Amino acid sequence: MPMRDMIRRLLFSMPMVCAAVVALGIAGAAAQEGNVGEARPWQMGFQDAFSPVMQEIHQFHALLLVIITTIVVLVLALLGFIIVRFNAKRNPVPSKTSHNTLLEVVWTIVPVIVLVVIAIPSLKLLYHSGRTPQADLTLKVTGHQWYWTYNYPDQGDFSFDSIPIPEGDLKPGQPRLLAVDNPVVVPVGATVQVLVNSDDVIHSWAVPSLGLKKDATPGRTNETWFRADVPGVFYGMCSELCGVNHYFMPIEVHALPKAEFDAWVEKAKEQFATNSHSPVRLAANGSQDAAR
Amino acid sequence: MAHGAAVAHGEHEHHPTGWKRWVYSTNHKDIGTMYIVLSMIAALVGGLMSWAIRLELAEPGIQFIHDTHFYNVLVTAHGFIMVFFVVMPAMIGGFGNWFVPLMIGAPDMAFPRMNNISFWLTAAGFILLMLSAVVGEGPGTGWTVYPPLSSIAFHPGPSVDFGILALHVAGAGSILGAINFIVTIFNMRAPGMTMHRMPLFVWSILVTAFLLLLALPVLAGALTMLLTDRNFGTHFYEVAGGGDPLLWQHLFWFFGHPEVYIIILPAFGIISQIVSTFAKKPVFGYLGMAYAMVSIGVVGFVVWAHHMFMTGIGVNARAYFTVATLIIAVPTGIKIFSWLATMWGGSIEFKAPMLYAMGFIWLFVMGGVTGVVLANGGIDTAFHDTYYVVAHFHYVMAIAAIFAMFGAWYYWIGKMTGRQYPEGLARVQFWVFFIGVNVLFFPQHFLGLAGMPRRIPDYPDVYAGWNFVSSIGAAITMAGTLLFYYVVFHTLASGRKAASNPWGEGATTLEWTVPSPAPFHTHEEMPVIAGGGHGHSHGHGMPRPAE
Amino acid sequence: MNGHERKRFATAAVLSCVAVAMLGLSLWSPTLYRLFCQATGFEGTLRTTNVPPPSGTTATEVLVRFDANVNSALPWRFHPLQREVRLRLGEEALIHYTAVNLSDKPITGMATFNVVPEKAAPYFSKLECFCFTEQTLLPGQEVSMPVVFYVDPGLAEDPTTRDVGTITLSYTFYRSENQPTPTASAAPPSSSTAGAGG
Ligand code: HEM
Ligand SMILES: [Cu+2]
Ligand SMILES: [Cu+2]
Repeated sequence: MPMRDMIRRLLFSMPMVCAAVVALGIAGAAAQEGNVGEARPWQMGFQDAFSPVMQEIHQFHALLLVIITTIVVLVLALLGFIIVRFNAKRNPVPSKTSHNTLLEVVWTIVPVIVLVVIAIPSLKLLYHSGRTPQADLTLKVTGHQWYWTYNYPDQGDFSFDSIPIPEGDLKPGQPRLLAVDNPVVVPVGATVQVLVNSDDVIHSWAVPSLGLKKDATPGRTNETWFRADVPGVFYGMCSELCGVNHYFMPIEVHALPKAEFDAWVEKAKEQFATNSHSPVRLAANGSQDAAR
Repeated sequence: MAHGAAVAHGEHEHHPTGWKRWVYSTNHKDIGTMYIVLSMIAALVGGLMSWAIRLELAEPGIQFIHDTHFYNVLVTAHGFIMVFFVVMPAMIGGFGNWFVPLMIGAPDMAFPRMNNISFWLTAAGFILLMLSAVVGEGPGTGWTVYPPLSSIAFHPGPSVDFGILALHVAGAGSILGAINFIVTIFNMRAPGMTMHRMPLFVWSILVTAFLLLLALPVLAGALTMLLTDRNFGTHFYEVAGGGDPLLWQHLFWFFGHPEVYIIILPAFGIISQIVSTFAKKPVFGYLGMAYAMVSIGVVGFVVWAHHMFMTGIGVNARAYFTVATLIIAVPTGIKIFSWLATMWGGSIEFKAPMLYAMGFIWLFVMGGVTGVVLANGGIDTAFHDTYYVVAHFHYVMAIAAIFAMFGAWYYWIGKMTGRQYPEGLARVQFWVFFIGVNVLFFPQHFLGLAGMPRRIPDYPDVYAGWNFVSSIGAAITMAGTLLFYYVVFHTLASGRKAASNPWGEGATTLEWTVPSPAPFHTHEEMPVIAGGGHGHSHGHGMPRPAE
Repeated sequence: MNGHERKRFATAAVLSCVAVAMLGLSLWSPTLYRLFCQATGFEGTLRTTNVPPPSGTTATEVLVRFDANVNSALPWRFHPLQREVRLRLGEEALIHYTAVNLSDKPITGMATFNVVPEKAAPYFSKLECFCFTEQTLLPGQEVSMPVVFYVDPGLAEDPTTRDVGTITLSYTFYRSENQPTPTASAAPPSSSTAGAGG
């Protein structure tokens, strides 16, 4: 019995342990300067979380991982036992059992219980990530083949294009296929309402470490939100097939302390002044053939 | 339709030979064989494409596919070919045609001529699909064909139109085939072969046929509207004309989710036959197994928008689709536990079909549990359109289906050709393939977790490690596949003669009561299935004195 | 045809009808889908109505923000005259967008629109707006486009929308497929210069 108790306790405490490890990781990451939201070589799990929603995704996934690992291990163990015990050599005479109502009821009910255990935190996460809290600023994102345009309606309504940097022009430290000329800039700790739209085909604006992904669909505006908890640089890639350069329309988000953000806004307003209110873009040309 | 059931008698004298035997064939076995051959050809094409993709992805940077549009064309064509011209023809057209009539004691399919038409429509669809890649620039839309990317503005050439026609033609063939199967199963069972005594493979084809009948016309309608949008100025999906691109996604996935069950349900049936045969035990919980398939089929029609969690559909809709999708895990669990319980207490021989059946269970459980993860609309933000999804659906549907097909091939090849496969070589083939696909797809979970998007020909350098491992896996898989083709060649050229029942006491379904190879006409005199009370409800209908 | 065959054909006929019915539903789906969206607010489809707000307003306030987009194929400038209004539930509001034709040709535009969060859509009712009809702007012409709307007090009662504090109304203007024919256009040729300054 004590053995079984121990196993049970271990199993039950696993989500908590995982959550604690994740939390430690986040705290550790937050403590250091220059946070980067990007994968690491040979990474086997999520990117570090830098927004509340991504932290919740980490926690929920820790729970799911325990559950699904348990299921897989259980099935593997049963298969293993069957192979060893019920092979033709060890068991020359097969049993004729083909029913066991109790067993069948159990393996229907137990999965239902497991699913309820999953569904409750799942829906909590869904509703939390799907509800935009009172926003501090709005960021408008428009997808084009094959770059993003950002607009700050509350800061003077300036817009700019965010063009990926070709391999030859990368400066040291800029990751290939991820760096752009004009990144999006947001203040640290601010709740940002993101309105996503597209000018041509469907794209998807995604930043894994901030728990962000929303389709940019022509003709409709989608909403999502995030809050960058620490200053840093967070990378993402377009996540809906959009044509020949789909692999090369990255997203780069910089989170700056409020004062630095304000300074950036002043500079950006001037730099991008000519862009305001100008819907006609030279780069926008629908045909893939023309682009190739 | 003079060739109805009446075909049975008196046609021995002039059963056609040479090319006419095949082109004009109305014989369920010959048509089944043609489907399997078509599938094996298409698998080479679709497989070569996927290996080209994996070769391109072996290292960061563009390796050899400099035209990235062509990369998208490869991904698209691979998806279409594997789904519509490898798995569906082999499972439904191939093994379904061969063994449904044999297992229920029917002399042939209900409408043999229509059966012939179904096959040739499928073949024509395959040719049209291949043409779509060479006329114009090729469809680079992904197998989901989302407008506006698939609209005339962004795919101006004729490729997408050819692709649409290909699916229309193959779809029409499949709908006719579905009607044929349902009518055969409902109306042509031998006396005593009640619904609840049908082997589970027959049940699986029945449910699949209903899914085809309900889902494919929806795809056909959606494709037709895309075709008229592209060519005749309608705006069903065109925003500028008052249409809605999301309508396509709803229609596509209303078809697309049942489609993945169309692929995997026949596999369920096959695995049940194999497991029961080699454990030498009746299927555990037969009724639960049959109705689990029915309920998976039914619920499969109301979960489609779990593919659309990122499109901006509201949070309440996402909550509904999360819960509905999770529910499917229950009948799926029943299937897995019942297979395990069938083996439990058995006297198992680990011949090649059984190895594939157990491999299937591993793959299906792996893909199933990641499916439970992906079902959650809240966490799908992290996974949607990443390699996690690629890993998930290859485990749960694609490779699992291939395992069932390999298993079925080894299981039934003696019956189909009269020659038995080489057991030792087949086991080697299993292990090479099994190791290959796991090395290929397992690391893709890591890539997806770390955020690597799918459908990209080049990726940030941080993803290099697991991509390399995955491509090694693809090479091993390729070796396993080529070895399979060699086993096929070896079996046909010099396989031992197969007994009418090579598997012994465990093989209790009707196809094992006819000689190997199964003669051109079987069950001309309907066998009578001895009533064995409920005991016979395990698909173990045995004829009284045979013939 | 013997009895067996008749039964077979009967089954096949029924199944064919099922397939044809599914095809019909699929082809009918654009209409069905639009009706569904209008009835439920799915996809952020607002309610369009000519009933004025139900009697009385509540004390609860909601912030309504306005967003404007122009597809790059349409050489117009289009933006809301006010970023946001704060109003009580049930209160009727009038706001304006403005659009300018920047080109030297008359052009017809057409707007699509939706509100976010999507779940608030069934409570967002507009009484008058420019989106139903196509708009033709002469070169350089600027028009003001009024939107009259209210947010239904039901927003605060529905447990799934009670938390909504901000609603964003978004329009996107597209170049319409039906462009004015040169002869039908009343635009005097001289006005083309006005467009440049717009
Ligand atoms: C033989 C081994 C196979 C290999 C090595 C393989 C590999 C791949 C690769 C590399 C991709 C592209 C992923 C991306 O870029 O997003 C892919 C996509 C896909 N595969 Fe496979 N695959 C195999 C078998 C199958 C089978 C049997 C099926 C059939 C059911 C299948 C169905 C698909 C589908 C539907 C897609 C998605 C296409 C799209 O994104 O539009 N695959 N596969
Ligand atoms: Cu893209
Ligand atoms: Cu699905």
